[in-house]
Amino acid sequence: MDSNEVIIRVGGAAGDGVQSAGLIIAKVFSRNGLHTNTYNYYQSIIRGGQSWYQIRASSHVVKNQGDGLDILIALNKDALERHTNPDINEGGASPLNGIAIYDSSISGFTKHEGMKFCEMPLSEIAQKYSKNTLLKNTVAIGAVFGYLSMDFEILAGVIRDQFGGKGKIAEQNVEAAREGYGHFVEKYGKSSKTLTGSGKKYYLISGGESAGLGAIRNGLKAYFGYPMTPASSIIHYLASHSKDFKVFVKITEDEISAITMAIGANYAGIRAMTGSSGGGFALMTEAVGMAAEMEIPIVIYEAQRAGPSTGLPTKTEQGDLLQVIGASQGDFPKAIFSPRNVEETYYMTGEALNLAEKYQMPVFLMVDLYLAEHYETVEKFNLEPDMKKAPLATGDEKDYKRYQFTKDGISLRAIPGTKNLMHNEDSDEHDEKGDVVSDAVTDPQIRIRIMEKRMKKLDTYMKEITPTPTYKMDDAEYAVVLWGSTQGAVEEAVDLLRKKGIKIGAIEVNKPFPVNPDIAKLTKGKKKVIFVENNYTGQLRRIISSEIQVTGDLITKYDGECFYPGALANEIEARIKE
Amino acid sequence: MADYKGSVKADWCPGCGNFAQLSAIPMALSQLGIAPENSVIVSGIGCSSNMPEYMRAYGFHGIHGRSLPAAQAIKWANKELTVIAYGGDGDGYNEGTQHLYHGARRNSDITYIVSDNQIFGLTTGQASPTSRLGMKTKTTPDGNLEPPINPLSMALSAGATFVAREFSGDVKHLVETIKKAIQHKGFSFIDVFSPCVTYNKDNTYDFFRERVYKLEDQKHDTSDIMAAFAKAAEWGDKIPIGILYQREDKILSDVDPVLHENLISTPVKKLVPADIEEFL
Repeated sequence: MDSNEVIIRVGGAAGDGVQSAGLIIAKVFSRNGLHTNTYNYYQSIIRGGQSWYQIRASSHVVKNQGDGLDILIALNKDALERHTNPDINEGGASPLNGIAIYDSSISGFTKHEGMKFCEMPLSEIAQKYSKNTLLKNTVAIGAVFGYLSMDFEILAGVIRDQFGGKGKIAEQNVEAAREGYGHFVEKYGKSSKTLTGSGKKYYLISGGESAGLGAIRNGLKAYFGYPMTPASSIIHYLASHSKDFKVFVKITEDEISAITMAIGANYAGIRAMTGSSGGGFALMTEAVGMAAEMEIPIVIYEAQRAGPSTGLPTKTEQGDLLQVIGASQGDFPKAIFSPRNVEETYYMTGEALNLAEKYQMPVFLMVDLYLAEHYETVEKFNLEPDMKKAPLATGDEKDYKRYQFTKDGISLRAIPGTKNLMHNEDSDEHDEKGDVVSDAVTDPQIRIRIMEKRMKKLDTYMKEITPTPTYKMDDAEYAVVLWGSTQGAVEEAVDLLRKKGIKIGAIEVNKPFPVNPDIAKLTKGKKKVIFVENNYTGQLRRIISSEIQVTGDLITKYDGECFYPGALANEIEARIKE
Repeated sequence: MADYKGSVKADWCPGCGNFAQLSAIPMALSQLGIAPENSVIVSGIGCSSNMPEYMRAYGFHGIHGRSLPAAQAIKWANKELTVIAYGGDGDGYNEGTQHLYHGARRNSDITYIVSDNQIFGLTTGQASPTSRLGMKTKTTPDGNLEPPINPLSMALSAGATFVAREFSGDVKHLVETIKKAIQHKGFSFIDVFSPCVTYNKDNTYDFFRERVYKLEDQKHDTSDIMAAFAKAAEWGDKIPIGILYQREDKILSDVDPVLHENLISTPVKKLVPADIEEFL
């Protein structure tokens, strides 16, 4: 086990305060300047069930929630038994091989070998400070940081922020944590692990928040949505900052309204977005084609969860790629982005807004539950705006044509309120001026030219598409192809395999559609190409093999959980040895 | 008078009720001194929804049933624009029902005009949500089995602050009501009887001429919502036209501070380190 790294899990039932305890722990690490990565395992239930929150922290960069478990806080007996039982392997998570902290009232469970059971009077200590039963969580958190010999004052600061400053409740929590801290050290001693942070605070932020922030940076003025997990983290963030950022946030009557409103707002000249998960996005489908036909910019944030249908509402999957590629009837230009981590989500959301505006077409930002909801540390954000405003007609243009045929396929937009340029934007097929050609007389020649004009935008876009990012591909004999949020697990699996002498690297697709032809060059001559996808059929492989005839082995995962690097490395190794 | 005349000639059937509205909407806008560049006509799909093609204004001819969400957002994005959503009974009372309900509930500051011909015209004559019980159409050869919905009582129950009914056979009256609807602060809704001369042989010009009477000729109190419900339910030998109900109420830009300024003119937010301190 890495002595510069710790993995902590808080386990309990929904309503036990699992997530808030987890977030306090994560924030203590990020404030210490430790790289932190979290994972929230939960169910679609408000009270009961079982959930857990995992936090991994280290002085080196951590790219996912990690393998192994050093410290467990069990908030009930069920959690204690689950996470200490080597035979239970939920989603690939490892059982404990460190210490378990739990309340003295829990008894009658099997004490497996290889771990240390640290019973504590959590409730008893908590009751000295408050009748609130959740205070026992704070006592346990104190114990964790005592064990890790970390500065108590940083923990106290996080607790105060969490409980609203220096009021009574905040101080009760600080004192309960302090007693937990001291009590643990006195009874069980300290860990041999030493976690030394950089001394500089890091930002701890989720993918959804990062997307919202990135959109604001590049001029988002309105967001329209309908509640659906896991697309809610971006709405919650934007709604709570609506006044500060002057961004209009509207929860609509349905997803059809959400996208149509976002398109209407873009038509009127402001940058607006919408978002949902697969089910809600299915309702938006018809309007996607409308935006494409009318050539109105639109950015759609699509946060995947495990389908089909309602599926596993609180579980992750990358199962919507073909849905998004195929959304809406007819052929039209569109682009799909799949940011690989929280930091990249920030920049790619801004890029999506620029691109949609420039090409007047739908641009999708595909994330998944894992990326949208988990927290990662980011050292630095470039806050300077990168807003590339596309030119608009001013009213002085002679013979203005809204859909003028141009070399690059891009025509000048005129927004309502502009003098002299009144015109109609139509979902019916139309000519350069916007006049409909579908009703009285269908002119096949105009139809051909306007189709080609729209599709030409994609050719123009392909000239500026950024190269597909890679990881350790310089001397690689084997290549893993991934898309989106599996980056962290794959890179760590690559590192594990390289330690074994296997020359392997990763091709990390962050713009899955249109397919970047550079993937053919990157995979050429490799002994084996292995696609790793969080779905059943290998949707990226299907699209890449059909577009550029590159294919390979396929490793999938469709249990609703994200990949774990250790298990993934084993699977890749087995494929290599086949 | 501002010129709202478009360059494309309307291709509706001769005698179609939509022509009256194609005259009345520009006339109302023009008489109110609203410039064509500041007017946006938003429609769905159907015969009547082709309206924006024929007017010299900013037109948004979207997809079936979805004029209202686009129209509301255009107004939120730029509140200096005059926004009119327009379409038929199939478009507005079938696929668009929830948008009418919620647009009214929000008191969105737009005008919604429905050309109600009680039939699907563009798809060549199927029963619509306002087709009468027993009406024979291509999809109801033995007569319509479902009673029609009442769009006026629906709008009233949703909280619409301006509810009116008009008839394409009386353009002058229609113009006056459209003017009042545009001037109304909040959601204004007009259901316009608009005979389909090709597919609806029941609800003809004569059918309506024999029945409609003007509410202003009676002692109707437009501030009385219960009286409005009673008028909305009137159907038979006598059918009222005019304003059934009007109320002054807050609109979203009164209550949402983000909309106090005009979104299109607000400067882009420049992020500063304090904005991301919460993540530290």
